[in-house]
Amino acid sequence: MPRSRLLEILGLIREAGDSTGGTTRLCEVCAEVVELTGAGIMLMSGDIPRGSVCSSDAVSTLIEDLQYTLGQGPCVEAYEQDRPVYEPDLRADGAARWATFTPPVVEAGVGAVFGFPLQVGTVRLGALNLYRDRPGPLTDAQHADALILAGVAARSVLAMQAKAPPGAIGPELEEGADLRFVVHQASGMVAAQIEVSVAEALIRLRAHAFANDRRLADVAADVVARRLRIE
Amino acid sequence: MSREALLVRTLVELADTLVEDFDVVEALTRLTDRCVELFDISAAGVMLVSPEGDLRVVASSSEAMRIVELFELQAQEGPCPECFHTGQPVVDTDLVSGEHGWPAFAPVALEAGFRSVYAVPMRLRGEPVGALNLFGTEAGGLDEADAVVARALADVATIAVVQHRAARHAQVVTEQLNHALNSRVVIEQAKGVLAERTGLDMDRAFSRLRGYARSHNLRLSDVAQSLIDGRLGLAALPAAPPDRT
Repeated sequence: MPRSRLLEILGLIREAGDSTGGTTRLCEVCAEVVELTGAGIMLMSGDIPRGSVCSSDAVSTLIEDLQYTLGQGPCVEAYEQDRPVYEPDLRADGAARWATFTPPVVEAGVGAVFGFPLQVGTVRLGALNLYRDRPGPLTDAQHADALILAGVAARSVLAMQAKAPPGAIGPELEEGADLRFVVHQASGMVAAQIEVSVAEALIRLRAHAFANDRRLADVAADVVARRLRIE
Repeated sequence: MSREALLVRTLVELADTLVEDFDVVEALTRLTDRCVELFDISAAGVMLVSPEGDLRVVASSSEAMRIVELFELQAQEGPCPECFHTGQPVVDTDLVSGEHGWPAFAPVALEAGFRSVYAVPMRLRGEPVGALNLFGTEAGGLDEADAVVARALADVATIAVVQHRAARHAQVVTEQLNHALNSRVVIEQAKGVLAERTGLDMDRAFSRLRGYARSHNLRLSDVAQSLIDGRLGLAALPAAPPDRT
């Protein structure tokens, strides 16, 4: 990778970090650098999706949300398989790969979607999601940049966590990332409501979300706001 | 095996450590053994700077007490700390001559049978990492060609050490993140359980959990886990005092 391009990208990321809006800017810069419509970074830890480090726009948030809810999609696949995932024509080919993920994403206006694992050596942290509102593959330059960005993003996440006091989540992640606490709060509430384990409660929440064609985070928010009880 | 073949093999082995998971001490020990074979010397060792900032021997071609001692001395004085600080190779072709500035180290080295020393700095982009130390029983230094080879070996070893440390750091930080996230999930779940049972909102539920943890000197995540597991009853969690925080 050309060293000058890496330095350029690092400079942009550093500027993003210095400005307010911390992690959001990280994703915005990712989208800008590769000149795609949007970007999101999915955090996975212990092989469990944990949430989203950042998201450059509402559609990227949807892409992250759906993967978190369904456990399928480009980031999940890139993380599990340890290699980039490419879907240049979601409308034509997406349904065969990700049956439940594809329709709402296509409807939101996504033409192509790509996932790049976040890795530092053997350590895996999640995946970078990039999407374009029109179909088409990545150019060689975009592909090279995406690989650099995934590496930089991985190091950024580690750097954010390295600042944490013992036992805590890094402050920038705590503040900027969406770690789906509402889902865990809702699991606790449902567990107490119907007298099941929190693990079982989460399964019931997912089942309700799936049956009602809703996002898990939205169902959880309703439970926490006491607008919804799961039986 | 010819000297050239041995050198190539040494460099390849060092380079391999960059792509495979490897034991850094084992790799550096092998390097010191190879140095003894490649150069006209009788002992070699590698010192690395610790996180606390002091130089420690990490590998040596011999476990003999006299050599171990020589490295222990070099925490304070000798060719290793000198080249570590200056970033330049340090050579003494004849310790007998007495012009070295190592009043503690030199006599012990001579006593151990060594007459010449050569130390190569291990630095990456100006950042000192340690030193590669060579000992000879006769007077004399490394010739130009050997000096170049010693430098190349030190450079590749430096990269391997730095790479290994970065990889270890990444693993440690990721484990910390994983652990922190796991603890936090349990706390959020407990907030939900408590909120449902008491009718409180999440913030007040959190205050109760935190109040209990503090007054009983327990970790918040442990209290949360107890609540979820049913080992902690609601009666044990009194209403929180007016929030002073």
